[in-house]
Amino acid sequence: MYHEVEKVGDEIIIIRLKGELDHHSTQEIRNEIVPMIKNGSIKVIVWNLKDLHFMDSSGIGLILGRMRELAPIDGQTIIVNPSETMKKIFTFAGLSPYIYNESEIEIMSKLGGIVYGQ
Amino acid sequence: MDNEITLTFIAKSENEALARMVMSSFIAAIDPTIEELSEFKTVISEAVTNAIVHGYEEDGIGKIDIHASRLDREIIVSIVDYGRGIRDVLQAREPLFTTKPEEERSGMGFTIMESFSDDVDIYSIPDRGTTVTITKRFVPIQESVRIV
Repeated sequence: MYHEVEKVGDEIIIIRLKGELDHHSTQEIRNEIVPMIKNGSIKVIVWNLKDLHFMDSSGIGLILGRMRELAPIDGQTIIVNPSETMKKIFTFAGLSPYIYNESEIEIMSKLGGIVYGQ
Repeated sequence: MDNEITLTFIAKSENEALARMVMSSFIAAIDPTIEELSEFKTVISEAVTNAIVHGYEEDGIGKIDIHASRLDREIIVSIVDYGRGIRDVLQAREPLFTTKPEEERSGMGFTIMESFSDDVDIYSIPDRGTTVTITKRFVPIQESVRIV
């Protein structure tokens, strides 16, 4: 799996997951993301699933785990471009409120306002 | 029986993708919809991950067998491990229940298996192993074409 992690300013990271996200590949991506979040300045994580072709419940564990880390600073989780099957999986786990029907670009232009208070 | 297959592999997490790939190919003959295929792959992934993670603690030694059979548009898949077993099957089936929260297992595996298939049967004996049998019926081709 060839995911991309992009840091935008000090407070936002965009995680573009690619290929297949299962228990195996989750272990790799977690090792990469966790140190970035534990750094402390991250307030928003945008999960872009546009190029993710498969996800099982490991994806829920991965996203919920990061939400827990963001919780003390009241951070925000945003999920964009899930497939129909992924939407169902998120709904089972109570994560549907975090799914946004906007593109990554639209979300990023909105976030400019939220994070920087413009 | 229209077709039948048995696949055996060791409890290594990289085999999760392999199991999904083989089972996707197995059902290709019935021409599933994209949604059906992706739900079926998820069900297989959940059951195989459970066997690897909970049955064998990813020891890379324990063997997992998948028996799959197809009769018309019904697929029956058994995922069999000979590992530690499930002490309380009813509890294991509860949404969000997990014995491994520290590994970020969400506890949604059985919920997903039940939602994305027609029947899930769990047979487990502590320290002897677990067999999860999944039945999934695929919609007839004409019907799925009409929906599209």
